[in-house]
Amino acid sequence: MNVISRGARNALRSPIRSGAIIIMLAISIGLIVAMLVARSSVNAKITELKANTATAITVSPAGIQGGMGSGNLLTNDQLKKIQTATHVASAYGSLTDQLGSSDTNLTSSLTLGSFGRRQMRFESSDSPSTPPMSSLGEGGQQFPRPAMTPHISVTGTTQPTTVTGAGGNALAVTLTSGATINGSSSDLVALVGTDLATKNSLSPGSTFTAYGKTITVKGIYKTKNTFTDSGIVMPLATVQTLAGETGVSMINVTADSSENVASLVTTLKSQLGSAADITSQQAQAQASVDSLKSISTLATTGVVDAAIAGAVIILLMMTIVVRERRREIGVIKAIGGTNFTVATQFVVEALTLTIISGIIGFALGVAVSGGITQALVSNQSATSSNTSSIPAQGGTTRLGRGFGAGGFSSRQVRSAIQSVTRSATPTVFASAIGITLLIAIIGSALPAWLISRVRPAEVLRTE
Amino acid sequence: MSLTVTNVTKTYRTSSGDVHALSDVSFSVKTGEFASIIGKSGSGKSTLLSLLGALDTPSSGEIDVDHQNITKLSERQQTHYRAHKIGFVFQHYNLIPNLTALENVMLALEFGGMPSRERRDRAVQLLESVGLDTDQQQRKPNRLSGGQQQRVSIARALANHPSLILADEPTGNLDSETGKKIFDLLHSLSRTEKTTILAVTHDLDIAGKTDRTFTLKDGKITTHK
Repeated sequence: MNVISRGARNALRSPIRSGAIIIMLAISIGLIVAMLVARSSVNAKITELKANTATAITVSPAGIQGGMGSGNLLTNDQLKKIQTATHVASAYGSLTDQLGSSDTNLTSSLTLGSFGRRQMRFESSDSPSTPPMSSLGEGGQQFPRPAMTPHISVTGTTQPTTVTGAGGNALAVTLTSGATINGSSSDLVALVGTDLATKNSLSPGSTFTAYGKTITVKGIYKTKNTFTDSGIVMPLATVQTLAGETGVSMINVTADSSENVASLVTTLKSQLGSAADITSQQAQAQASVDSLKSISTLATTGVVDAAIAGAVIILLMMTIVVRERRREIGVIKAIGGTNFTVATQFVVEALTLTIISGIIGFALGVAVSGGITQALVSNQSATSSNTSSIPAQGGTTRLGRGFGAGGFSSRQVRSAIQSVTRSATPTVFASAIGITLLIAIIGSALPAWLISRVRPAEVLRTE
Repeated sequence: MSLTVTNVTKTYRTSSGDVHALSDVSFSVKTGEFASIIGKSGSGKSTLLSLLGALDTPSSGEIDVDHQNITKLSERQQTHYRAHKIGFVFQHYNLIPNLTALENVMLALEFGGMPSRERRDRAVQLLESVGLDTDQQQRKPNRLSGGQQQRVSIARALANHPSLILADEPTGNLDSETGKKIFDLLHSLSRTEKTTILAVTHDLDIAGKTDRTFTLKDGKITTHK
């Protein structure tokens, strides 16, 4: 038997007291583990948000907001400038047009409601796609106005994997049949939204007429958005050629990190001047990041508090033990034991209790970490939803109008926060083990000092 | 081993003034002698014992053990001295309660620097020499009688072949019959192990049977035979 085994055996010398200490310490360590897991999970989400959610910047031609306004398209030179700007991860342009009944043989799958009719009340007779609501013939004769029909949205893009929806958000395009198209080509091909395809009985290989040309359907897509599922996606160059335009109505920019979005927006505003309106999700996404950061801070505070509680538990327990065994310590010193030997024995005793508590605490912490993480996130999400109310914007579009400036809705903020999942990484466990050992060392430091103060002569004095 | 105490004084400073526990104490004990110190409570017996065992240091004077002045030892040297040169036998035995009799003796051997593989055999031999059988050796102190615990204490004191055994009222907690047996055991060991024993006792009968007896009164050696 050596000092290690003596210390370990002493840890269980008083089973009831040791059991109580182990339970209290296990709860403390369990809380440390749970809070470390929560902190790690939230930090991972912050990193993810910084890398993805908060990096989108939308550049629209000046004077265009939602379905209103007018202006000139952004040029290809402006697009190239943006693509080469610092902190730009990617940038691509799109051109959105709308087809009226005279432009295509397709019938819109959208129903023209009262709002749609109001939006179309200003359509002029010079528009190729939208005949006037009424017009006078030669000699003042009034001709009957053709019936209004909803327009069909056409998006020309080099990135046919996404389509810009109402609100400026990039919606993922999921093919339900057929194949995708090459967005960089100038072929007369298209992807057709599932609602429009159903309305017009289109399938891959079918053709339709637009701009006086025959377009071949390559695939049918779905975005789960009624507006975009009633539209058409074609290569950017094709739409530009057919519409007789050389620019783009929207540029979707992705920054390399959300931290650089603000500086990138400043750069783009400097480059584009008054030619473009620039909106970013930074402010809205920052609200989400800030919410998560507060959870991370809360979790860190929890770790520190639990560690302090654990250290205090061990410290008090070992202090009591040292006082109780003062005579025994004196005897050990009297028969030749050094301060180091006795202190080591008591440190091992504290370590043994901590390790046993640590094993139980780790299991406990892992078991409850998911619930605690979700509880922290849900609570913060509720707070966030009360303080963040950012309406989405958007509307119908015409050539030169784009889908409008995008918004990052409070629902998305909540969604981003609530999607935090438990992340128990090896680093988390290494940290927890380190903190646990630190608890044992700090908790036994004072008792070790008390041990060094015990004078062996006291053994004889108390006889 | 020779023990020479020269002009040793121990003064404790208290809030009510200095207390002279020992005043100018001088005596010597020859190698292998069984000496006893008698005196009333508070006469300075335990203080003298703690100075001889390097548990404390005198205010002045010298204590030579084997021609080494132990009053000049550093704390580390004091610990080494206690582990190798001194064996303690306490009135209340002072065995470690959660260790068996065997482990209590092995603990002293560990502090004496004996290799771990040799400790068990040496401890068994010592416990057998003081009359504890195999079953008793595996018991913890609370399952041993007072006499058996004192035997373990003596075995522990003898573990590292000490030059000097200091016994503080070794029979004070035992009935007269058991006390006599323990005294006889100590007496016998002092002969067989050639170990000097200095015992503090109240029992004049026991003191009378030792080779030499010193009487302490008010911190001073008053008589010796």
